[in-house]
Amino acid sequence: MNLAKSFFCLAILALVSFGGIVMAQESSTPKSAAEVVKTQPYVSLDPVPRGKAFEAAVVVHIAEGYHMNSHKPSDTYLIPTTLTPKLPAGIRLVDTMYPQGSLKKFAFSPDKPLDVYSGSVTLRLKLAAQDTAAIGATTIPMILRYQACNNSACLPPVKVPVTAELRVAAAGSAAKSVHSDIFAAPAHN
Amino acid sequence: MNRVYSAFLSAIVILVAAVGFSGCKSSTSTTAGSSSGTAAPLAEEPNVTFKDLQGNNVALSSLKGKVVLVNFWGTWCEPCRGEIPILIAMQQKYADKGFTVLGVATNDDEKAVDPFIHNTQFNVDGHQMTMNYPIVMGSDDISTKFGGLLGMPTSFLISRDGKIIKRYIGAFANADEINKQVESHL
Repeated sequence: MNLAKSFFCLAILALVSFGGIVMAQESSTPKSAAEVVKTQPYVSLDPVPRGKAFEAAVVVHIAEGYHMNSHKPSDTYLIPTTLTPKLPAGIRLVDTMYPQGSLKKFAFSPDKPLDVYSGSVTLRLKLAAQDTAAIGATTIPMILRYQACNNSACLPPVKVPVTAELRVAAAGSAAKSVHSDIFAAPAHN
Repeated sequence: MNRVYSAFLSAIVILVAAVGFSGCKSSTSTTAGSSSGTAAPLAEEPNVTFKDLQGNNVALSSLKGKVVLVNFWGTWCEPCRGEIPILIAMQQKYADKGFTVLGVATNDDEKAVDPFIHNTQFNVDGHQMTMNYPIVMGSDDISTKFGGLLGMPTSFLISRDGKIIKRYIGAFANADEINKQVESHL
């Protein structure tokens, strides 16, 4: 009976250990670019009256264990994160504001900290609706370019389309500030 | 007692099945540089022809007879750069014994690759060295023929007779394991 119990416990222990090893290996497998980074676009005004300044933002959620180069990476050969809008007629780009990165060391770069984004970061565009902007629903297509890595491997650089939706109204129309949690925070450049 | 035996036997059956599964996954294993992958294994090296930086064709099959470490990398990839000193040292140590590293640059534009391989100095055991192994350009088609790349760097160790022995996803943390693998196939 005691012998049987011992064998039983040994078998269970071995099984659990084996399962742990397999799970550890699988969990460190690099994810696809689509799994690593999720994006969500926002616009600061609804509607956007002609003649008004407003902002568009892209909140970038980076999967745990991953990072992407900041807009100002540590070295020239690294690919910076960029947000490039393709603006409709009558919408003017005033400025693009990128958050500051964090200096972090990684196993593959133990001596040289890298300037990276991780967790959630918000990239913002300062825009202006001109008198020529078409009234009604419109979109601002943007391209987010980034290159993400985990502690041992990198995903190839990718360009991801993100589209913000807004309504343009006549000059002087009432406009409501929306998503203030995103746009109230100070922006960096 | 019977219940104990039943549980014991069940555990053994599951354990044997699990070990059997792991052993039968493939003859081509995948290991960490630091992480492992699950893409379909390849037994035979793919029939691919690369372009070198001068535009010449380099067929992978032309390297049969050598043990080859095909290393997919990019100039933009920091972990790739981190393992280059290991690859330079391997080339130094084993080239005379029938081994070569074949660096496959995955940059979109080879203009970034040429100056990188000639100008970038790496600290190899205290000596400053540039890359000393052949570099060719990769493509999506080539990556696909290797079963798709889950991340960079990814390396494939290929035997003298053109069989893929092992795939490594992620940077080599140190030289020990890959050196042992190479030595065992020279």
